[in-house]
Amino acid sequence: MSKIEFKNFSFRYKNLKEPTLENINLEIKDGEKVLITGQSGSGKSTLVHCINGLIPFAYPGEISGQLLIDGCEPCNENIFEISKKVGTILQDQDSQFIGLSVGEDVAFILENNMMPLSEMRKTVLESLGVVDMQDSIDQSPYELSGGQKQRVSLAGVLSSRSKILLFDEPLANLDPASGKSVIHLIDKLHRKSDKTILIVEHRIEDVLEENIDRVVVVAKGKIIFNGQPCDLLTSDVLHKAGLREPLYIEALKHSGIELTQKHKIDNINNCDDTRIKEGVLNWYQVDQVIKKNNVKSDILSLRNVDFSYQKEKKILKDISFNIRKGEIVSILGNNGAGKSTLSGLIAGILKPDNGEIILNGTMINKWSIKKVGENVGYVMQNPNNMIVKHMLRDEVTLGLKDRSRDPKRLSLKGVLNKRGSVKKGFNPFYSLKLHVGLQLRNMSQKNRDRKKVVHARGIENKYLDIIKTCGLYGFRNWPINSLSYGQKRRAAIASILTLDPKIIILDEPTAGQDYRTYTSFMKFIKELAGLGIAILIITHDIHLALEYSTRSIVLSDGCKIADDTPANVLSEKEIIEKANLKETSLGRLASIVGIEDKNDFIQYFIDFEKGQK
Amino acid sequence: MSKFGTLYVESDSFFHKMEPSLKLLIFVLWSIIVFMFLDVRINIFLLCLGMVCLSFSKIPFRIIKNLFIVVTVFNLINAVFIFLITPGYGTMLTGKTTILCSFMDYNFTVETLFYIITLSLKYISLLPMAMILIFTTHPSRFASSLNKVGIPYKIAYTFNVIFRYIPDIQYEFKTIVHAQAARGLSFNKDEKSFVKRVRNLFNITIPLINSALNRIDHVTKAMDLRGFGKHHKRTWYNATKFTKVDYIVLVISVFIFIAFLWFKIGNDIKFWYPF
Repeated sequence: MSKIEFKNFSFRYKNLKEPTLENINLEIKDGEKVLITGQSGSGKSTLVHCINGLIPFAYPGEISGQLLIDGCEPCNENIFEISKKVGTILQDQDSQFIGLSVGEDVAFILENNMMPLSEMRKTVLESLGVVDMQDSIDQSPYELSGGQKQRVSLAGVLSSRSKILLFDEPLANLDPASGKSVIHLIDKLHRKSDKTILIVEHRIEDVLEENIDRVVVVAKGKIIFNGQPCDLLTSDVLHKAGLREPLYIEALKHSGIELTQKHKIDNINNCDDTRIKEGVLNWYQVDQVIKKNNVKSDILSLRNVDFSYQKEKKILKDISFNIRKGEIVSILGNNGAGKSTLSGLIAGILKPDNGEIILNGTMINKWSIKKVGENVGYVMQNPNNMIVKHMLRDEVTLGLKDRSRDPKRLSLKGVLNKRGSVKKGFNPFYSLKLHVGLQLRNMSQKNRDRKKVVHARGIENKYLDIIKTCGLYGFRNWPINSLSYGQKRRAAIASILTLDPKIIILDEPTAGQDYRTYTSFMKFIKELAGLGIAILIITHDIHLALEYSTRSIVLSDGCKIADDTPANVLSEKEIIEKANLKETSLGRLASIVGIEDKNDFIQYFIDFEKGQK
Repeated sequence: MSKFGTLYVESDSFFHKMEPSLKLLIFVLWSIIVFMFLDVRINIFLLCLGMVCLSFSKIPFRIIKNLFIVVTVFNLINAVFIFLITPGYGTMLTGKTTILCSFMDYNFTVETLFYIITLSLKYISLLPMAMILIFTTHPSRFASSLNKVGIPYKIAYTFNVIFRYIPDIQYEFKTIVHAQAARGLSFNKDEKSFVKRVRNLFNITIPLINSALNRIDHVTKAMDLRGFGKHHKRTWYNATKFTKVDYIVLVISVFIFIAFLWFKIGNDIKFWYPF
């Protein structure tokens, strides 16, 4: 029996001209576990909204064709009937956590269904038991990590006993280890219950770590693939759809092994096949590449920096490191390890208790945020939180107009004040002064006008330069709201570039972005680094760290536990565990095919990819 | 701030266990009594009674002290203004004039001084009950209790949501303000020109409002998806029950209230002045 069935289904949002979903035919059977994936803007979120009832109730639009959810048509029901059938676990754990305590939040759906109190308490405990959170029943959301909040959300949906569970990007805000445990939990749930599970996610590698029955790939509003994971991985669908293949699959493809369904490579453990082993070993030659030691000068140094919000508990302990010009450094670590605190210290928002922060040879511990800001740019995760103006030009040039105005303007106040006293009686002395004064004023006026023009021209030139660097030249006269999310990100960076920063801190620059957007954004960041700007990336995304950073600094519990190349850091078991990271599938592939020096293999892969691009 | 990010102070006092709607009722009755009289005797009595209740509530002394200081300062300012603007008000109420001292055209009278003391005590005597209501009531329990006494649950639940998201929004605001300051748009003492500070503040409000609206949008959808507003009624996980003690307290409070009402009707004094 099918739980969800789309028949020739199309949907067009009310304010859009083109349909977002076109002629969708999809059937999901009872008890299936399906991954739905696609680039941002492919229509996968729209598909999700169709299933959980937000379409047509929260987002109106035009529907054609048929959609049946558990035998009912959503448009004939109301959103509550659908929410009874489909439990949605949203991407944003904070907005999803409505109650003031864990128990209350899990009970939310039951309260709305008017369940009596005694039964409610029992159900809440049961549901929390499934996700291993019974002990936290009285905790507040502020005491939980992202992964724990995710579990509470799941318990909240489980308590309603809906048959279909819909996970909307469950990995988006989690560190690698928590993400892994959530995926594992979903799998456990699927094995133990008869629920139909839909996971919408573009981090395919992480989802495929546990068994998945079927993968649906959406591109440009259409379903371009609908089948088993191993078929998907052996084809080039993901590549065409602008999605990221699992790293080990990429490695296998690089080594030129002909992959067939037989290999069942959706499970990495099946890579111990002799043909695969040989292929990989052939591709990977242990050649000692002479590393270019192009050491540039330090731009930023931290020396024994301590920091605490309250005196009792230190958030950062004895942190020291150097950042060189044009370096891309990733800062890794679990939630609460002190990553954001560290970036706050570098950006001058926070002041260290002890130690020194040295920028370009000067100690900046006591500098104001504004002064540090002229050297260190801080880019928030959500560009909408940075944008203050309507037009792109105004936004980007805002800082320029503010800073470069010459404060020493020729003051004529003194001379002009004398003017009043002239009227009282004739005094040749004053009239002479007045004459000179007026002359002076005219001269300075002209001068100022000319300066203004030069100044404006300077701003305009700089604006165009920066906008070109950021790939937004075509939008130079556009309002910001008509830019896409990725373009807004660039705009936010452009407005910081006007200040000529030496360092840019990026907070989770790739969160929730698909491979194509991500790649083009990171390419842009690399170009910036090429200009000599040091880039600090705070991230959970180990792929990002691996591919784009030259160095990783790992924090755990306020201490620096590693400062090495990403490949080395991510093949060190102890560091991985301490910082809630995860071994990459490349590392696993290496051990499966019998390569001892894992980090060299990972490095070889990265260099190979770089060579290809 | 408690771990819930609200004003609620967790403890297990007599007042913590009391039904929230009853606390609200007592607070309302208390306020009516306070505003009914301009009588220093009653205010002193209420203040003492309030302090006794407060001592049972196990609210940390630090919080009590700070709030008392705030209210006292407010009262002092109020007193100064009354003296300056209507120095003859006490005379108007009592019909007597006992000049304390005079300065130019101003006559400071004992009557007005007494009036000010009464008025200040009146405000201060409201404080203990207000504090008990605010600090010993868990927002969720308060919401469920309000719903029980007849307030629609959609309105009652607003309390919950507000308390839940205030800290989140605060945190988000802080981050935005800092990021903007780093960009040169600061409105604290970093920025020397006052005009620029105001302009920056104006600029920053756009992302702030944007983020708050965004949050509201997400929360609304999350609530929709979990069936909020499905039925005309709902049950509450944090439901409260009227206990025997609550009924006794209710009867006593109503009795005291009636006694005061009777006293008010029996003795029609607008302003009690002993001299």
